[in-house]
Amino acid sequence: MNEVSPAGEPLIRLRGITKEYTRGGETLRVLENLDLDVARGSFEALMGPSGSGKSTLLNLLAGLDAPTQGTVEVDGKRIDQMSEGKLASWRSNHVGFVFQSYNLLPVLTAVENVELPLLLTPVASSERRKRAETALRVVGLTDRMGHYPRQLSGGQEQRVAIARAIVNDPLLIVADEPTGDLDRASADDILRLLETLNRDLGKTIVIVTHDPAAAERARITHHLDKGKLRA
Amino acid sequence: MTFLGLAAKNLGRNKVRTGLTVLGVAVAVLTFLLLRTVVSAWTAGADHAAKDRVVTRHKVTFVMTLPKRYADDVRKAPGVKLSSWANWFGGRDPAHEDEFFATFAVDGKTYFAVVPELVVGEAQMAAFLEDKSGCIVGDMLAKKLGYALGQKVTLESGIYPATETPWTFTVRGIYTATARNVDRVSLMFHWDYLNDALPEARRDEVGWIMSRVEDPTRTADIGAGIDQLFDERDIQTLSQDEHTFLKSFMAGFSAVLTAFDIISVVILAIMTLILGNTIAMGVRERTSEFATMRAIGFLPKHIAVFILSEAVTLGLLGGALGLVIAFPLVEGLLGRWLEENMGAIFPFFRLPLPVVGLAFALSVALGVLASLLPARTAARIKVTEALRRVA
Repeated sequence: MNEVSPAGEPLIRLRGITKEYTRGGETLRVLENLDLDVARGSFEALMGPSGSGKSTLLNLLAGLDAPTQGTVEVDGKRIDQMSEGKLASWRSNHVGFVFQSYNLLPVLTAVENVELPLLLTPVASSERRKRAETALRVVGLTDRMGHYPRQLSGGQEQRVAIARAIVNDPLLIVADEPTGDLDRASADDILRLLETLNRDLGKTIVIVTHDPAAAERARITHHLDKGKLRA
Repeated sequence: MTFLGLAAKNLGRNKVRTGLTVLGVAVAVLTFLLLRTVVSAWTAGADHAAKDRVVTRHKVTFVMTLPKRYADDVRKAPGVKLSSWANWFGGRDPAHEDEFFATFAVDGKTYFAVVPELVVGEAQMAAFLEDKSGCIVGDMLAKKLGYALGQKVTLESGIYPATETPWTFTVRGIYTATARNVDRVSLMFHWDYLNDALPEARRDEVGWIMSRVEDPTRTADIGAGIDQLFDERDIQTLSQDEHTFLKSFMAGFSAVLTAFDIISVVILAIMTLILGNTIAMGVRERTSEFATMRAIGFLPKHIAVFILSEAVTLGLLGGALGLVIAFPLVEGLLGRWLEENMGAIFPFFRLPLPVVGLAFALSVALGVLASLLPARTAARIKVTEALRRVA
């Protein structure tokens, strides 16, 4: 079953996506002939049971993986045909990542973690710091800039991760179970923050979640089951 | 923050492990330096041999002697400027049983002209030449055994055992040297004194003949010319430039030197494994971080450069620490002690600069080598799988 977002020209257009993995000589089909559009400025959630292919789908539309069959088009560009180097450069310029376990570098302070993606750009050192500080201000962590991840709560770490995701001003933010490791109050904070980024800054956001409360915040929720989208 | 700053911060992640690794590399570098310095000091005599000297010995082995009259023939050979001769006496001072030093019977009138790097004051030389039982000792030997001018020294020799009277000498001179690599713990006495005391059958034999030549670039030709003089005699000779002669003399110790070479390589291999193990552990622990960096746009080459930078820094720190320990240890303590107490074997035991440079360069180069496999592994991680393992 296919699902296409109704509003305007989609930012993301997936067509005929099939993804297979080979494990121990056995081929496993994770996604099957799937179509999906995500509108520009949308906030969408992918839900489904474990093994339904949610994270795989997220990886494909974020340029972390390539489909076995089908096309992935983001902002008018086919990313499924890009070389590894071009794809890395494309991700660094167009995608912000938020992970369940935050994935901050423990040896870097909050502001240095946020600055990390900017190391790949020609931006000057002082400007990098300024942009990182701005991103931390957006997520409400101005008073934690010099703190290391071990000195932060889980919610604060995830805020730093979100600041790192937006510091490059990406078109798209993808979040894989962004509230999975958080308590309810912290999870609500993070979801509110994502909503704000979507509403006030116009960021297109796609999240994978098991959390119905998280899915409720999204404008559109896609349900996956056995590699197919359910209506 | 910069790329290099990030690599440096990663080294501070596990300070104990980084510290122990740096220490491990430092110990390996120190051991390597000591071994190479031993080899260098051992071969220093040959490496700094006079270029204008030819040594003539028995063609079969230098243990066998030559007729003394050969020395007169060699002196007249084309291209020879000066010549002298000497015998290995193999003496020991019974008052200092455990001390080894070289003892030679030499032709007092000519020996010091052929070996000008041994310096004796004029008055002392005159006193030596006037006293048939006189001897000249190196200044470090004199200092070590307390020998003074005018002192009687009695030696025992396994090669020339004393018959009626013991081998007693009077110290008439103390030599110094023009270069630090020259042995300053030897004792020389008059060949005549030895020869006259020997039974008839053992008289008029010399161990080797040393000659200074007019043209140092022609030592091979001049040596061949000398050997030709004795081709038709009962005893043939082998003449070599001093470097080759000393090298052939040291060939007897080649097994020891080879063992030192092998141990040096083993030490370097251990150092590489220490570094490789540390780097590999660090890389394994940071798989998720590398996956995250790859996800946000870092390329495999960036990851590889991070890891290489860390390994090079570890190698640099370890190499530098090894040198910081080695210099005072060798130059201030060990080297001085060895020169004073084992000067016959190690007349000059100091860190050779080329060896220092080599050790430092190797600590960095092997750091790179040790990190190649972990760097390749980290650069090739499958981002989605690594991220899934974290989640």
